[in-house]
Amino acid sequence: MSATRSIAALGLVAASALALSACASTSAEGDAAAEAPAAESETISYTWDRNTVTEEGADPVYEETTVEVPVDPQKIVVFDMAVLDTIGALGGEVAGAPLESVPDYLEDHLADDAFNAGTLFEADLIEIEAQQPDLIVVGGRSAALWEDLNEIAPTIDLSMRDGFLATLEANTAFLGEVLGAEDEAAAALEELTAGIDEAKAAVTEAGGSGLGIMVSGGELSALAPSKGDGDTRGARGGLIYDVFGVDPVVEDVEAATHGEPISFEFLLEHDPEWLWVVDRDAAVATEGAQAAEVVLDNEIVNQTTAAEEDHILYLDPTAWYIVFGGIDTTQRMIDDVLQIAGR
Amino acid sequence: MTAIATSTGVPVQARPRRAWAGALIGVALLVLSVASLFIGVSDVSPLALVTGGPDGRAAFLLIVSRIPRTLALLLVGATLAIAGLIMQMLVRNRFVEPGTTGVSEFATLGMLVTMVLWPGMALLGKMGVAAGFALLGTWVFLRIIRAVPVRQLVLVPLVGIMLGGVVAAVTTFFAYRLDLLQSLGQWAQGSFAGVMQGRYEFLWVAGLMGVIAWIAADRFSVIGLGEEFATNLGLDYRRVVAIGMVIIAVTTAAVLVTAGMIPFLGLVVPNIVSLIIGDNVRRSIPWVAGLGAVFVVACDILARVLRFPYEIPLSVIVGIVGAALFLWLLLRKGSRAH
Repeated sequence: MSATRSIAALGLVAASALALSACASTSAEGDAAAEAPAAESETISYTWDRNTVTEEGADPVYEETTVEVPVDPQKIVVFDMAVLDTIGALGGEVAGAPLESVPDYLEDHLADDAFNAGTLFEADLIEIEAQQPDLIVVGGRSAALWEDLNEIAPTIDLSMRDGFLATLEANTAFLGEVLGAEDEAAAALEELTAGIDEAKAAVTEAGGSGLGIMVSGGELSALAPSKGDGDTRGARGGLIYDVFGVDPVVEDVEAATHGEPISFEFLLEHDPEWLWVVDRDAAVATEGAQAAEVVLDNEIVNQTTAAEEDHILYLDPTAWYIVFGGIDTTQRMIDDVLQIAGR
Repeated sequence: MTAIATSTGVPVQARPRRAWAGALIGVALLVLSVASLFIGVSDVSPLALVTGGPDGRAAFLLIVSRIPRTLALLLVGATLAIAGLIMQMLVRNRFVEPGTTGVSEFATLGMLVTMVLWPGMALLGKMGVAAGFALLGTWVFLRIIRAVPVRQLVLVPLVGIMLGGVVAAVTTFFAYRLDLLQSLGQWAQGSFAGVMQGRYEFLWVAGLMGVIAWIAADRFSVIGLGEEFATNLGLDYRRVVAIGMVIIAVTTAAVLVTAGMIPFLGLVVPNIVSLIIGDNVRRSIPWVAGLGAVFVVACDILARVLRFPYEIPLSVIVGIVGAALFLWLLLRKGSRAH
């Protein structure tokens, strides 16, 4: 927490310094542009189906949108933690992000003078405008900000589409191209694919059915496998099944955003061999919330096969609930699933 | 809203209609409670209990999960309804309850304060703080109501709802800034899915408040006649009001901490009871408690069954049924509400 604060403060100082020196730097940049007009204009097209309906819960209406993305952008603002992860892992640096939401393990990917761009749901448009970024990336929670942000700088939406793996591959490859790090992107993808295969093999070898649950405020909800209809809102819960091949103990869990509320009895009755737990309160750092371990340590759960066999596996809540999709994060998820090999 | 019942203590000749309604509530309570014990994801049927079932699991679940859940429902239903009744007596208005007077919102604010200031606090402490805030909320509401010159029937709850709105806005603002919005929502949403042995016991505190209300019932009847009248009868008005406020606040907080918010219950149940047997608190408290319990148990059974084996939050069902009943009470022919 204090680390984030100090970075935020630093960002603020840097921002004001920048504002003060704005006049001086414009002329210098102007010269550079005059010398190298070719470099300035080099762009890559990025096209996606943009959901123009921003209301929560409304049926999406898609519109094909193309944005010219500058190659090797100097100042990138990122609203999606997975993209922040990938940019950093490919050797890039991010100039602005919702600093409060950046998990500890991704803080290295921020520029030293990174500024706070708002929250995952709301952009600080004035600050971003003042910073004059070259590229803005939104995704998932922040996709609705696209319209406003695109007026400030070229903005692309790297939300999850066509499933987790396809998105990971597409986004990593694209960002590699933008950052001029195609080789690194290819290498990272190769490593991740191998890792996922290894994790899948471990899951198959361990055998038995599994259930993903989320614990929040002392209540449980069952996580759902994706229905393969491209609805990615439920995807984060389903990753354990969809990507890592866990055999769901119940097939028909509806892919609600936060899963389906269940009782402790549900666990005992369906009795999965393996229980994969996402502690939501830990993910959003709810202070003083009961840890999932405490909630799950009760007479009913202790009677389940998963508890008796020490098969309750805790997943990195930040990686699985907040970020999911970046290079380092996928590696964390692979490591999480590989816990199964040791049991 | 029949005329104020005779409070002489002389047994009123039981009209058949009333005895019949009382018996109905009793039977419904029994049937629904038993049903509640045997409805759930696992197979806990009388047959399984007798034969032992697989590894005696049925008996185990009955004791650890079903009985606690049913007890929790009965306690919540009975005590919230009583809290609503007491509140209506204190304010002398038929359309108030903790949920329409800002008390629940104050209690929620209290929860947020504990989340922020004393995150590691034990649940009992959290409940204490929430109860403190609920008490403050009741007091603020009573003060405001006194200052409002027009005491029309619907104006009073309207003031309460506005007060609640202001407090809820403050809570939402800070929860939003501190990124606790979803957690708070999760907590405040009424649901009994997580209830089992060891996770509902605070509700007995609410139950105790119900008993106190029962003991002091006659005083609340008199309070319902107004301050002057009560004082003329030699009643320490302020003390009885204070007791009532504590009952309301502690009940609200205990239910909020264990199960979340259950809307409309304290409003609808006492009104229906009043329609049947009138306003004598001593006579109506058992009815109110019984009908409240019936209402909540029935709604929870629906919550468990409608999307089996998953659950619908109880507050959603109670909200729908309660709102419909509330509208009916408001628009009913001969209602004094309009």
